Amino acid sequence: MASITAPTIGEGKVQPQAPSLRIQDYLRWTVDHKIIGVQYIATALFFFVIGGLLAMMIRWELLTPTLDVMQTGEQYNTLFSLHGTVMIFLWIIPVMAGFGNFLVPLQLGAKDMAFPWLNAFAFWIIPPAGLLMLAGWLVGPPEAGWTSYPPLSTLYSADGQTLWALSLHLLGISSILGAINFIVTILNMRPEGMGFWQMPLFCWAILATSIIVVMATPFLAGALTLLILDRVAGTSFFNAAGGGDVLLWQNIFWFYSHPAVYIMVLPGMGMLSEVLSVHSRKPIFGYRAIALSSMAIALVGFTVWAHHMFTSLTPELRIPFMITSLIIAVPTGIKVFSWLGTIWMGKIHFTSAMLFALGFLSMFVIGGISGVMLASVPVDIHVHDTYFVVSHLHFVLYGGSVFAIFAGIYHWWPKITGRMLDERLGKIHFWITYVSFFFTFFPQHILGMQGMPRRVAVYDPQFQTLNVVVSVAGFALGLATFVLLANMVSSLYSGKRAGANPWNALTLEWATTSPPPAYNFVGDPAPFADPYGYGTRESKEYLETLDKRFPPPVDDSLALTPNPQGTGD
Amino acid sequence: MSAETGKQTTTNRNSVLLIIAAFALFILGGFVIAQATPSLFPEQASAESQQVDDLFQFMLVIGGAIFLLVQGMLVYSVIRFRAKPGETGDGPPIHGNATLELVWTAIPGVIVLVLAIYSYSVWVSTTSAKDNEQVVQAVGQRFAWTFTYEVPRSAVPEDVNVADLPANIQQQFNDKGTFTITSPELHTYVGRNVKVNLLTQDSQHAFWIPAMRVKQDLLPGRVTETRFTPVLAGEYPVVCAELCGGGHGEMRASIIVHPDQETYVTWFNNEAARVFYPSEDPVERGQQVLASGAYPCAGCHILDELGWVGVTGPNQNGVADRVVNNRSPATGQTPEEYLFRSLYYPHEYLVPGFGPLMPQFQSENPGAAYYMPVEDGEAITAYFCTLSATQDNVCDLENLAAIAEAH
Repeated sequence: MASITAPTIGEGKVQPQAPSLRIQDYLRWTVDHKIIGVQYIATALFFFVIGGLLAMMIRWELLTPTLDVMQTGEQYNTLFSLHGTVMIFLWIIPVMAGFGNFLVPLQLGAKDMAFPWLNAFAFWIIPPAGLLMLAGWLVGPPEAGWTSYPPLSTLYSADGQTLWALSLHLLGISSILGAINFIVTILNMRPEGMGFWQMPLFCWAILATSIIVVMATPFLAGALTLLILDRVAGTSFFNAAGGGDVLLWQNIFWFYSHPAVYIMVLPGMGMLSEVLSVHSRKPIFGYRAIALSSMAIALVGFTVWAHHMFTSLTPELRIPFMITSLIIAVPTGIKVFSWLGTIWMGKIHFTSAMLFALGFLSMFVIGGISGVMLASVPVDIHVHDTYFVVSHLHFVLYGGSVFAIFAGIYHWWPKITGRMLDERLGKIHFWITYVSFFFTFFPQHILGMQGMPRRVAVYDPQFQTLNVVVSVAGFALGLATFVLLANMVSSLYSGKRAGANPWNALTLEWATTSPPPAYNFVGDPAPFADPYGYGTRESKEYLETLDKRFPPPVDDSLALTPNPQGTGD
Repeated sequence: MSAETGKQTTTNRNSVLLIIAAFALFILGGFVIAQATPSLFPEQASAESQQVDDLFQFMLVIGGAIFLLVQGMLVYSVIRFRAKPGETGDGPPIHGNATLELVWTAIPGVIVLVLAIYSYSVWVSTTSAKDNEQVVQAVGQRFAWTFTYEVPRSAVPEDVNVADLPANIQQQFNDKGTFTITSPELHTYVGRNVKVNLLTQDSQHAFWIPAMRVKQDLLPGRVTETRFTPVLAGEYPVVCAELCGGGHGEMRASIIVHPDQETYVTWFNNEAARVFYPSEDPVERGQQVLASGAYPCAGCHILDELGWVGVTGPNQNGVADRVVNNRSPATGQTPEEYLFRSLYYPHEYLVPGFGPLMPQFQSENPGAAYYMPVEDGEAITAYFCTLSATQDNVCDLENLAAIAEAH
């Protein structure tokens, strides 16, 4: 790393003042990747609240072992069917795409994504698809779970199931278009001086994710097409009475939906690498191992799908899938240990972003351990389709992905809006979330092992005590989200102004104003040779140069005049 | 110079000892955590449950140690390496350590290899076919379980003439030399190797006995199977674990493990006797048919007398009074006609607020999935006629016999 020098950042050019945000720019069609990124994130947050409300109703019903809040079992089934679908396809996947959109071009020093129009198009598919999903309530909502196994989803579920499938079709198209854009952008638009091994790990994670999306999502489209045909055209792909096979759906569905777990968690892991390194002021430990393990997960992730079918798969096939599922624990372990190595001996700053990143490490590891237990066929046979699995998947997708999303929001909010989030509210948000998350989901392991299946409104009264604990903690977890939302709204109006680089970070998105101008950078920025080269004299010099180039934020009282920028369309 | 080297060696030796001590502590912690295993599972009622729980406990030792290692490093880091207030410096520029990275790749690799081998051996020993198995068929339908047992022709008592038995039983004898009796519970006894053949009448279900640690999905168009050997007498829940619709949570049954073969055989002979010596009283016969679980009514209806708890369909408590006071005058049908016809044509007799979910039984083809011979229809109707507040029979049984005859 002897060749590291502080590169020039638009030296000699006049640095513009940061533009002010205008709400109307965010409500219309634009090809600016930053605005599209925010549109993704805002839309996803809306659906996060919807999915969260559904979860609250589930927990309300489960306070008692009888059916009392809902009128029929079908109504209850609707709640968790849409909760799962909304959270996966309209919250986590789009919000990750939003961060990718906002950050990838900035981290690459580019002006925009490779295909700006396609980028906007991919986003604008999502709102109508989301409405189509929710429109199920108008025609009889789906009741077959987010996995929608036939024949429940074909012969029994109401017409909302067809809308569900159409909506997922659209969301899948959006995903594929977005992923193609990411792959092309990352492969072709890196600046001079940034080889693959100088790329920020978030870009590595988005690259790995996009490869999975492009390879896996067409299989979902295939399965959905067959499902729609069975429902509306009288075919029998999944109908045993007509010569079809219910396992066909399970195989195709999980061939997409297991890799989809990595679609949901890899970008979060990418964000985590950024946040942990910046806020502990230390280079990422084992950069190449983290980058390559993302790729390993992406590839091995395609060989494990049938571990979701250990109670339905032909018994002879169960063992091979157990072995691949166990193997995938190894690259995941490499990441966790590398992150621990990153914070080890660092100078840890307890910002809200860092707290959520540490919370991720602490909770995700539980999901990893229960994941290994689930990979073992004899144990899985007992806990399959029980609350043990509900617990496991929430430790991975909430304790993992959502904690990472929260860390990402606190970390990049200043860049997105030019204002800081309130750190005190952030810490309140973290501690309520961390504690109530644990008590919402950890007891579910025990419920499952003791005999409570998932997806039931009526359960054995012996499980009520633990269910009350889970529900009460769940309500706290739901309310904690509003602390974040309040923080965001109040920051937009009165948050402290952020400078270009409030966290003293080395990646390129911090080498421009906050928020960045429509064209991102004045001139072509040269990246610092090592995106995580903290603790060196060169990095210190680079950061000092940045600070000189982008003076500290002006006081609010002096910044009354808006300074709008064109949006580049 | 030499003193300095000596000092460094001591420091190195001390940190190596510290690391070894920490790891020993984590592993010990894993053992302590794993002691919770028995309290996490239901009772070990099968030979398989012992092996599964041991495997889980083994994984909990390792998982517990890893959990403590990660949380321990996190807690240590956030205390030891926190930036002091106002501190702006960076940590040391360490980019990795090849040896360390190799170690934390190799150790998990070895762990998953061991787990794979151990899991495979448990899998083979718990699922292999055993000698002399009791074969029971479990039928799942929304939202009830029915268990059927084979009765060989040799078990027919000498004083019973097969030609006098109901048509569907005669046909079973003609087709395969045995006939089946049904029960809403799965009966077996301690030490008997059990094989359950699973089939579904409608959607997917999953057959789960938590106390036995066995679970297997029921797949339309396939017969699947599962095996276990009970070791502890008692009654344990059988649970549906695969979403099958609105009444999924109520789709429960029991397995009754008799302490020995004699008590099991006594139960079995009593059940078989109900077929060989049907009661002359249609009311009693109807109650017996329903109690045997031959029809999946319990999955959707409430009937306290028989312990039905389903909530998907209308409550059957006091149905006789409602028919006499309300439905019979409204339709112009006699109570017996109304009840009998609503059994066979449920979709024409929907109770307000309920959908057309009940299977349509027919009395012509004994091989059909939803078959209810007229004798059963008559007996069930006769029994329903007594479900009044006073427990009096509200129907004319002779008229009922005529209706059944004409059906």
